[in-house]
Amino acid sequence: MANLKELTHREDRLAGGHRLCAGCGASVAVRQVLLGAGEDPVVVGCATGCLEVSTTIYPYSSWKTPFIHNAFENAAATISGVEAAFAGLKRAGKIDADKKVRFVAFGGDGGTYDIGLQALSGAMERGHDMVYVCYDNGAYMNTGIQRSSATPKGAWATTSEVGVAQAGKRQVRKDLTAIIAAHGVPYAAQASISHWKDLTAKAEKAFNTPGPAFLNVFAPCPRGWRIPSSMTVEIAKLAVQTGFWPVYEVEDGVWRQTVRVANKKPIEEFLKPQGRFKHLFAPGNEALLAEIQADVDRAYEGVLKRCAAE
Amino acid sequence: MTEKVLMKGNEALAEAAIRAGCRFFFGYPITPQTELAAYMAKRMGKAGGVYLQAESEIAAINMVYGASAAGKRAMTSSSSPGISLKGEGISYMAGADLPGVIINVQRGGPGLGGIQPSQSDYFQATRATGHGDFHLIVLAPSTVQEMTDYVFRAFDLADEYRMPVMILADGMLGQMMEPVVLPEPKTELPEKPWAVTGHRGERPHNVVNSLYLKPEELEDTNIERFERYERIKAAEQRAEEYLVDDADIVVVAFGASSRIARSAVNKAREKGIKVGLIRPITLWPFPVNAIGAAADRAKAILTVEMNMGQMVEDVRLAVCGRVPVEFFGRAGGIIPTPVETLAAIERIAASLEGGAR
Repeated sequence: MANLKELTHREDRLAGGHRLCAGCGASVAVRQVLLGAGEDPVVVGCATGCLEVSTTIYPYSSWKTPFIHNAFENAAATISGVEAAFAGLKRAGKIDADKKVRFVAFGGDGGTYDIGLQALSGAMERGHDMVYVCYDNGAYMNTGIQRSSATPKGAWATTSEVGVAQAGKRQVRKDLTAIIAAHGVPYAAQASISHWKDLTAKAEKAFNTPGPAFLNVFAPCPRGWRIPSSMTVEIAKLAVQTGFWPVYEVEDGVWRQTVRVANKKPIEEFLKPQGRFKHLFAPGNEALLAEIQADVDRAYEGVLKRCAAE
Repeated sequence: MTEKVLMKGNEALAEAAIRAGCRFFFGYPITPQTELAAYMAKRMGKAGGVYLQAESEIAAINMVYGASAAGKRAMTSSSSPGISLKGEGISYMAGADLPGVIINVQRGGPGLGGIQPSQSDYFQATRATGHGDFHLIVLAPSTVQEMTDYVFRAFDLADEYRMPVMILADGMLGQMMEPVVLPEPKTELPEKPWAVTGHRGERPHNVVNSLYLKPEELEDTNIERFERYERIKAAEQRAEEYLVDDADIVVVAFGASSRIARSAVNKAREKGIKVGLIRPITLWPFPVNAIGAAADRAKAILTVEMNMGQMVEDVRLAVCGRVPVEFFGRAGGIIPTPVETLAAIERIAASLEGGAR
C-alpha cells in the first residue's frame, strides 16, 4: 500500500467546494476510499442522501469521475447494472479484455442498513465485481435526523424521542458488516475515518479483490450527533478506542482485527461529548448506561472471538 | 377547545388524524413530509397509539394493511417518490377492501425530482396508484385548516366505503403555518365486523384477501367494487365555487394552486373580467357535476395546476367539448404567481372579446 507521501500525490476524485457541512464525516470517507482505487478509472454510484444531494447540485458536480444516481433504495442494484453492462461489453469484444474499471457505490446507513439492504444483499450474492461503501453516521441525516437501524441504543433522534416513556432509541443497532460477511463475499471490512491508513488500505484491498467487496465506514455527523464540527475525527477515534466500533476485516471468511485496542476505554468517553446522548447522563439513567456498556462489551468480545478463532 | 392555534400543515394534519381515532401510524423519512412523522413520534405514544418507523415505504404501507385488517384506523404518510413505492400496497388494500389513509405531501418529479411543492401526482392519485382496476377517494386540501378537516373526514370515508383514501397535499401546504381550529376528538368509531380479530368459535372466519384465481370470482369482486364506486360518485363529489354564477370564464384549480387562482380571479374582477373559480375538493370522485354545470353557463374554462397538465384531462371529460378548456401550469416545483395566472385569464378574456366581434 502507498505511504502518506505517495497518497498526497494522488488526485482527489471528490473536489472541494461541495455543500456538505463543515466537519462532515462522509466526504472524508469518500476521499480516503477513492485514494485506495489507485490510478484506474472509477465509476461511482450513489444512493440518495446528504452525500449525493450536497455533491451534485445541478449543474455542478464535485465528482471527477463518472457518476450515477438512482432512487434511495437501489444504489447497489444500479451499480450492479453498470458493472454487468461493462462485463457484457467485454465478453462481446466491444471493450478490451484487459481494460480495468472500478465500480463503487456509496450509501448512508439509512440507504444501506434499511431501505437498500435488499438491493445490497442481491448484489453481494450475485457476485458483481464492485465495492459497496456505507458511510455510517447512524441516522437519516438528510431528512432531519430520523432513527435508522444503525442508530445506537439510547441515541436521541427526531423519531426516537427522549421523554418519560423512553430515553432515545430502544433497540440495539444492526450488525450490518457481519450480515454482509455472512454472504460469503471475498472481502468485507469495518473501518473508521479516524484511522485513515487502515481505511485506505482496506479500500485498496476491496478494489483489488475480484468480486463483491463491502466497506462499512464510521463517519460522524456533527449536526445529527450534536458535536462541534471540529470533533469529527476525535469522536470517530473514541468510537474505536471504546470498542463501540471495532475495526476489522473478513477476507475469504477469515476475521482479523486490523486496529488493536490496548486498553478499551469506558463507553461514556464516546457518549458524553455528544448531545444526542445527553439524557443518558441525567440522574436515573445509570442502568441504561450500564446496559449500553454491556451491549458494547458483548459485541466487541464477539468480534475478538471470531478474530481469534481464525 | 375551539380556539385557534398556529400550526404547520404537516403537524396539524397529524394531530387531526389522532383526533379522528387513528392510533397506528407507520412512517418513513422523506422531505417535505418529515414533520408529520416526527409529530406522530412525539404524540402517538401519549395518545395510547403506536408510532412505528418502517425500514422502507413499502414496509410502512404493508403495516397499514396489517393494522387495518385487524380493524384499526391506520395511516401512513410520504411524498411523491415514496408514494410510488407504496403503490403495490395500496393496490393490495384496494383489492382486499381495506380502509386506510395515505398522505402524499407532493414534491416535483419524475424520478428524484426536487423537494419543492408540486401537483404532479394527480394522475398517480386518481388514475394509477398501483396495478389493477381500482380507485382511491382523493381529497385535496388548500389550507392548513383543510389539511385537518379533510384527514378527519378521510378516516370516516375510508371506513364507510372500505377503501383507501388519499390526502393529496403538497410541500407548500405541509410546510406553511396558518391558524387552525382542531376538531374535537372522536369518541366513537364504527364497528368493523369484517375485521380479522379472532372468531373464538363464535362466527365463521373473516377473510381479508385480494387473490382470486377463478376469473369469474375476480370479475365479480371488481364489478361489486365498481358498483360501490358509482355510489361514491353520486354521493361524495365535492367542490367549492367562488364567483361562478355570472362568470364568463371559470378557473378550475385544486390545492395550493387554487389559492393563487383565487387571487388572480380577484384581480381580474377588479379589471372588470367576469371570472370565477371552481376548486375541486374531491379529485376522485371528480366533481363532474359542478364543472358540467359551469360549462353550461361559461364561455371558457381555464385549468391552473402545478404540473404539465393533468387534471385538465378530467376537466375536458366533464366539459365534453361544450366550451374551450385552456391550461396554465408551472412544473418542477415552481409555484405559479397570481400575476402570470391573471395574464392567462386576460388572454382568454381577450380571445373571447375577439370572437364576439
